Amino acid sequence: MLADQKYWNPLLETLPLHKVKELQLRKFQRIFKWAYEHSKFHRAIYDRASITPEDIRSHEDIRRIPTVEKSMMRDVQRKDPFPYGDALCVPLEEVSEFRQTSGTTGQPVYQADTWQDWEWWAECWSFILWAQGYRPSDRVFIPFGYNVFVAFWAGHYAAEKIGCEVVPGGVLDTTARILKIQELRATALMATPTYVLGMADTAMNKLGIDPRTLGVNKITCAGEPGASIPSTKKRMEEAWAAKVFDHAGATEIGAWSYECEAQPGGMHVNEALFLVEIVDVETGEVIDEPGRQGKMIITALDRQAQPCVRFDSKDIIEWDPEPCPCGRSFRLIKGGVVGRADDITKVKGVLLAPSAIEEAVRGVGGLGDEYEVVVDKVGDIDRITLKVELRPDALGHEKSVKDSLVNQLRIKTNLGYNIELHDYGALPRYEVKARRFKDLRKAH
Amino acid sequence: MRPEFDMEKMDHLIQEMKRVAGEVENAGREIPAVVRNVKRIMASIKMLEINVSDVSGILKTST
Repeated sequence: MLADQKYWNPLLETLPLHKVKELQLRKFQRIFKWAYEHSKFHRAIYDRASITPEDIRSHEDIRRIPTVEKSMMRDVQRKDPFPYGDALCVPLEEVSEFRQTSGTTGQPVYQADTWQDWEWWAECWSFILWAQGYRPSDRVFIPFGYNVFVAFWAGHYAAEKIGCEVVPGGVLDTTARILKIQELRATALMATPTYVLGMADTAMNKLGIDPRTLGVNKITCAGEPGASIPSTKKRMEEAWAAKVFDHAGATEIGAWSYECEAQPGGMHVNEALFLVEIVDVETGEVIDEPGRQGKMIITALDRQAQPCVRFDSKDIIEWDPEPCPCGRSFRLIKGGVVGRADDITKVKGVLLAPSAIEEAVRGVGGLGDEYEVVVDKVGDIDRITLKVELRPDALGHEKSVKDSLVNQLRIKTNLGYNIELHDYGALPRYEVKARRFKDLRKAH
Repeated sequence: MRPEFDMEKMDHLIQEMKRVAGEVENAGREIPAVVRNVKRIMASIKMLEINVSDVSGILKTST
């Protein structure tokens, strides 16, 4: 039976690595030529570097091609052909989908896709969902405000494509969404980690419904790193009695990575559809070996309207030395996306990744899921204030909870914190990407 | 153990579908319902090329 098949496409997912590299080179040559010939934006970058499609004969040649940054995309947009500018590779009439980035790191970037690109998005997600155990017998509830952000749009189309029944959770509020999940006996969900935890909290504390009784057996996360942070994943899995899977994607890239059912502590890179390179953040030196973190430079090998060629994603990743027990030959990135080059900030002279704080907070039993980090200065000294919520069942144990948190933070971040314990429910709740890290030093 | 498939045959049939879809589009090029539906079919055929045809050539090479 088709549903018993382990892989969405065994031809690609079990291809030996040297064949994968051969495939990537051929496809890179094709997309590079496409971008060079159809986009004034890309052509200008490559002309400045004196590189033509004929120069690309090996992976080493690829590494000599200049990278593209999000800020460069911003600069060419909001001009003709409006609003995409010179990065567009097809006539405007061919564009069938508009999306934009969330603007977390600045002015949003617009993303054009043709219908073929949109099929490709769904294809990327089909690899993800099949690997995470989605099958035609699933009823998938998507509690997402369908809008200009790509988020779970492609997950919706992919779930349809692989044969699931999809329930769009659109403009319903959290309470109505939970009741709909209960009414329809949904078996799967897609949401940000923040919202997965928020829904569980609402179900339990506002509706008196234990989310573990709802029958949801798998949840796919996106938008935040939480599903790859062990303590956050554990909280979600315990709250829902479901397997929680991570995936990584971005509006201007595509859905490039996914955790499989084996949950090996990392995510597979879809190396048939994307070329991922890791480079040293400081020197730009290429990192081929496992175990060394660097930032990701990525190429979407089949995207047409607005190609993504050697895009500097700023995501911090590292290759995992171990193969996955699932049998896929697509390599793993250890621990998923562990941070962003522009998120990792120096505090008190120490590099601090916000995900390390999350791992500490979510690893302390008496604390709620929400937290907020504020970095400011007292005189010339950096100060980190961490606001957390005490769970009602931990009242009276404030000191031991706080001590436990201080220890975890010391171990995971090597920094000291000014900790504020707040009442449960006092901190802001988020439905999509949470903004929990505030660096006020930049205002000084 | 990788499963065995007749890649050449699959690729050939995919190219044939592409050719036939193109012919349908030509034959009905004044009919929006034909042209736009063929456009969608072509996008799906492209996904078959990504999944089969692109790798078919790679599997033929011996290195």
